[in-house]
Amino acid sequence: MNRRQLFSNVLVAMIMAVVFAWLCTSLFAVLGKQADWSKTWEYREALWNGWLVTLGISFAALIGSIFFGLLFMLGQRSHLVVVRCTCRAFLEFVRDTPLLVHLLFGYFVIFAPLLARPLGEHGLDDKLIIGVLLLSVFEGAYLGEILRGGVESIPRTQWESARAVGFSPFQVYRYVIFPQALRRVLPAMAGLFVSLIKDSSLLSVIGVAEYFYNTRNVISRSYAGLEGYIPLAVGYLILTLPVAWLSHWLEKRFRHET
Amino acid sequence: MKLEVTQLTKCYGKTRAADGLSLSVGAARVLVLIGPSGGGKSTLLRLLGGLETADEGIIEINGQRLSTEDSALQAYRRKNGFLFQQFNLFPHLTARHNIALPLEKVHGHPPAEALVLAEQALDRFGLLDHADKLPAQLSGGQQQRVGIARAVAHQPEVLFLDEPTSALDPEMTAEVLELIQELAEAGQDIILSTHEMGFARAVADQVAFVAAGKIEELSPPAGLFAAPKSALCQRFLSRVMRY
Repeated sequence: MNRRQLFSNVLVAMIMAVVFAWLCTSLFAVLGKQADWSKTWEYREALWNGWLVTLGISFAALIGSIFFGLLFMLGQRSHLVVVRCTCRAFLEFVRDTPLLVHLLFGYFVIFAPLLARPLGEHGLDDKLIIGVLLLSVFEGAYLGEILRGGVESIPRTQWESARAVGFSPFQVYRYVIFPQALRRVLPAMAGLFVSLIKDSSLLSVIGVAEYFYNTRNVISRSYAGLEGYIPLAVGYLILTLPVAWLSHWLEKRFRHET
Repeated sequence: MKLEVTQLTKCYGKTRAADGLSLSVGAARVLVLIGPSGGGKSTLLRLLGGLETADEGIIEINGQRLSTEDSALQAYRRKNGFLFQQFNLFPHLTARHNIALPLEKVHGHPPAEALVLAEQALDRFGLLDHADKLPAQLSGGQQQRVGIARAVAHQPEVLFLDEPTSALDPEMTAEVLELIQELAEAGQDIILSTHEMGFARAVADQVAFVAAGKIEELSPPAGLFAAPKSALCQRFLSRVMRY
């Protein structure tokens, strides 16, 4: 960095700091006096439980989306034209409609009438299960495309060599194609998993008592402002940042291997 | 090795890569396919190696008719070896594991034994120093030699080599050809295609000249190189031997 660059950097940093400081001070001047952190503490149990539910949903939907993603990827590579076209059409539909619509339509129109009673009879939370299922399908559709891109980016010679050493079609995927494809799509996958965690907040619209739902309830009950929204943002960051860091680390680790 | 091919046809779109090709080899250890690029050498090798199925025609190797069913072809590929021009190795595995993986997963050796066998295979060709390198850390010639080591680690009945040196510089070409000659002298049945005429002459028991999807000429190398009978073969040889 030469002197001119250094000077510009310092100048821009200072301007940004001043703007940010001004924004914070003026905000806290209005809201800070009313902020009462004892409210947050009072409702800690609801917030904590909601956060745990969000963690659980994210984890379950992550597994679910991998399952559906693999399914959609294989479906699109099927030898049967019918399977391929159906898969393609379904993915196009899923990717071109909002998750909010999926959740409302999927829950109230499709799954609740079918599954709510049987699940309830077994003492299960139908909203939670159906919500996770719908989220898994939605993220799985994107994952399916990511995986397909990865698998199709592996050169033909690798498929041929794998066949030539006598691997079965399953073994070709398992030992040769996937290990290489996953390295290539890892950053995209991690990005998707971060999205998945954030998208789980939409499950609140069908009444799943997750972090966003509980925090909103706490805020409307206690008239909290900053003291409700700051924990909300921080709660999601705690979930998403490790995933993002992990992906950067994996990306660096595998960069030189292929 | 006995080979009987009758009326083999294979089309890619409108191109007839094999066009009613027939070939009969009574007994040969090393069969070399020569001929112009795009003449059907690769296609013939891939059909013989069980990587593709013919549209029509029959292939018989050592008295056994080659099936067109996927599972039978897979079993057939398992007992043979195949090497392409380049990028044979799996880039995410070290040389050692490139050899050990098929031994373990395809041929059913326990993992520890597979690694020992892989080491022996590398040792046999003087590649032990490179055992723990990834393909990207090896030269093109070394990659091909590891590829051959992998292809022969399970003692294949027939080794198929599709222009194994055409992506290499002359020095690397020499090191790979030496290895192939070593294998041939050790009694390995080999069918290979090549543009190295000197090598073909030295190592082949039978040379087949393939052009336009047909076998134009088949004879022992001494005869074929000294006095080619077909006009196409004469012209091809006079061109490639000029310099």
